[in-house]
Amino acid sequence: MDIFMNLTLSGLSTGMMIFLLASGLSLIFGLMGVLNFAHGSIFMWGAYSGVWIYFRTQSFIMAILVGMIMGMALGWLAERTIIRRVYGRHIDQILITTGLMLVLNEVLKAVFGPNIIAVQIPPLLAGSWELGGIIIVKYRVFTIFVGLVVAAAVHLILTRTRVGMIVRAGVQNQEMVQVLGINIRQVFSLVFMFGAGLAALGGVMMAPAIGSINPNMGLENQMLAFIVVVIGGMGSILGSALASVLVGLAGVYTAWFLPEAALAVNVLFMTVVLLIKPSGLFGMGGGRNS
Amino acid sequence: MDEIANLKLLKKAEWLRPGKFLASSSWVLMVLVLILAVVPLMTSSRTTLNLWTEIYILGVFAMSYDILLGYTGIVSFGHALFFGTGAYMTGIIIKNTGPTLSNLLLAVVGTIFLAVVISLIIGYLSLRVKDVYYAMITLAFAELFFISAEKWRSVTNGADGFSFQVPAFLQDRYVFYYGILAFLVLVVLLLRRFIDSPVGRVLQAIRENEKRAEFLGYDVLKFKLISTVVAGVVASLAGIAWALQQRFVSTGVMAVDKTIDALLMTTIGGAGTLYGALLGSGLTTLAKHRLGDLAKIHPIFERWYIIFGLLYIMIVLFFPGGIIGTWKRIWNKKIT
Repeated sequence: MDIFMNLTLSGLSTGMMIFLLASGLSLIFGLMGVLNFAHGSIFMWGAYSGVWIYFRTQSFIMAILVGMIMGMALGWLAERTIIRRVYGRHIDQILITTGLMLVLNEVLKAVFGPNIIAVQIPPLLAGSWELGGIIIVKYRVFTIFVGLVVAAAVHLILTRTRVGMIVRAGVQNQEMVQVLGINIRQVFSLVFMFGAGLAALGGVMMAPAIGSINPNMGLENQMLAFIVVVIGGMGSILGSALASVLVGLAGVYTAWFLPEAALAVNVLFMTVVLLIKPSGLFGMGGGRNS
Repeated sequence: MDEIANLKLLKKAEWLRPGKFLASSSWVLMVLVLILAVVPLMTSSRTTLNLWTEIYILGVFAMSYDILLGYTGIVSFGHALFFGTGAYMTGIIIKNTGPTLSNLLLAVVGTIFLAVVISLIIGYLSLRVKDVYYAMITLAFAELFFISAEKWRSVTNGADGFSFQVPAFLQDRYVFYYGILAFLVLVVLLLRRFIDSPVGRVLQAIRENEKRAEFLGYDVLKFKLISTVVAGVVASLAGIAWALQQRFVSTGVMAVDKTIDALLMTTIGGAGTLYGALLGSGLTTLAKHRLGDLAKIHPIFERWYIIFGLLYIMIVLFFPGGIIGTWKRIWNKKIT
C-alpha cells in the first residue's frame, strides 16, 4: 500500500510537470497548427536559467520567475523572428523548429556547459510527511499543487475571458476569427509566449524533482509531451491534463515493475489510441489526414 | 553582334545548365565516380580514406532521407532507427558467429527483412494521420529502439558499445574504399531509377499536392508506405556500411542526432535533388572533422553545430532548394 501510494503520488507529480510542457504544445498546435519541436529546448532553458538563479539567490520563487521570463522571452523571440514566417507550411514548421531546437540546445551547452548539474530541493519544500505509515514527499505535493493551479488557471482563462474565447474560436476556425476583425497574429504571439512560459515553468519544477539537469532533458520530456498531446488530442487542455496524468502514472507503475519498459508502455498506449481514435481521446477532430 | 556573342555564350553554358546537366544523371555520376576513384591514388593515409568513406556512407543515409523529405514530403524523426538496425544487426551477427562473408550476407539479408517489416509497421500506424503525427510517432519509436539498444546490455553492451572484426577481405583499405564507392554508385543509380519510375512520379505528385493525388485515384497511403520502405531499407544498408567502417557499434547509431544529421545534410545540400544529400554529407562531415580539430584551440569550436543550425534555418527560410536547388534556379534564370 505504501509503495502504491508513493508511486501514485510520484506519477501524479511527474504527470503534472509533463502537463506544463504539453499544454503549451497542445495549444500552440491547436491554434496555429505549429508542431513546435523547440518546445523541449525552451523547457530546458527554463530549467537551466532557473537553476542558475537559484544557485545565486537561493530563492526558488526567483528561480521560477526568472525561468518563466526566460522561456517567454525565447518564445516571443522565436515566434517573431522565425516561426511567424512559416505559418501554414507544415513541413517547414517542423524543419524550422527543429533547427531552432538545435541552435537553442547548442547555445545552452555553450553557456552552461554540457555536463550534468546536481540540483537540491529547496529547504522549505524538502523532506516528507508521514501519514499513517505512508511517506509523502513534500516536493511532489508541491508540484501537483502547482500543476493543478496552472491547469485551473488556463482552463479559466480559456473559458471565462475574451482572449480565451478568441483562442478557442481560433482553434475551431481561424479564418472566421480573422473575418470578425480580430488580429489573430497577435493572439498567436501571445499564445506562443504563454506556452513557452509554461514549458519553462515545467523545466524549473522538474529540476529539483529529478535532482539534476542535463542537456538531454529537453528532448526526453518533449517526447513524453508529444505522446501526451497525441493521446489527449491537440488543442484540448482537459485532454492534455488527463493524458499527462495517465502517462505519468503509466510511466512510474511500469518503472517500478520493469524499468526498461517505462517508455515502451507509453508508446504502446499512444499507438493504441492512434489506432482507435486518431484525433486523440479528447481532441476536437481533425486528426486524420485532411 | 551582341546577340551572336550571347548565343555563343548560351551554347557554351548549355552543358553547364543544371536542368540538362543534372537530368543526364549518368553524366554527373560518371565524372563524379572518376574523380572519386582516383582519391586513393593520391593518398594512402587511412584517415583520409576513412573520411571519404564516411562521407559516402552518410551520403547514402542522407539520400535515403531525401526520398522521404524531398520526394514524398514527409518528415521522419526516426530514420536513425533503420541506420541503427543495420549497424547492430551486422555487429551482433559478425561478433557472435565470426567474420566471414557468408555471415555478412546473412546480416544484410536479415537487415533488409527487418527494415521492411519495421517500416511497414511504423508507416501503417503513423501515415494514416496528419503529417505532423508522423514526425512525432517516428520520434517516439526511434527513442524506443534507442532505449532498447541501451538496456539490452547482454547483446548490445549498452552505451559503451562493442567492437568486432570485419571479414578479412574488407580489411584492405583500398578494397574497402572502392567497395563503399561502388555501394554509393549503386544506391544513386537505384534511387534515381526509383525517383523516375511511375511510383516515384506519384510520390512527387503527393509531395506537391496530396489531395489532388488522392482525387486522381492514387492510394496515397500505399505509395507513402512504399516510400518509407525504400528509404528504410537504404538507410539500414548505410547502417551496415557504417558498422563495417567503424568496426564498432554503440547506441550512437540509434540516436535522434543521427536523424537530425541526415535532415541537416539533406536540407543544406538541397532537399529533392538527391545529389544535394551527398553534397550535404560532404560539407557536414568535413566541417565536423575540421572544426572538431579546432576544439583544441578554443572550446567554442566544440559547439560547431550552432553554425550548421543557423545555416540550416537560413536555408529553410530563404533558400528552400538548398545549395543545389538554389544553384539550379540561378542558372535557369541566367540562361533563359
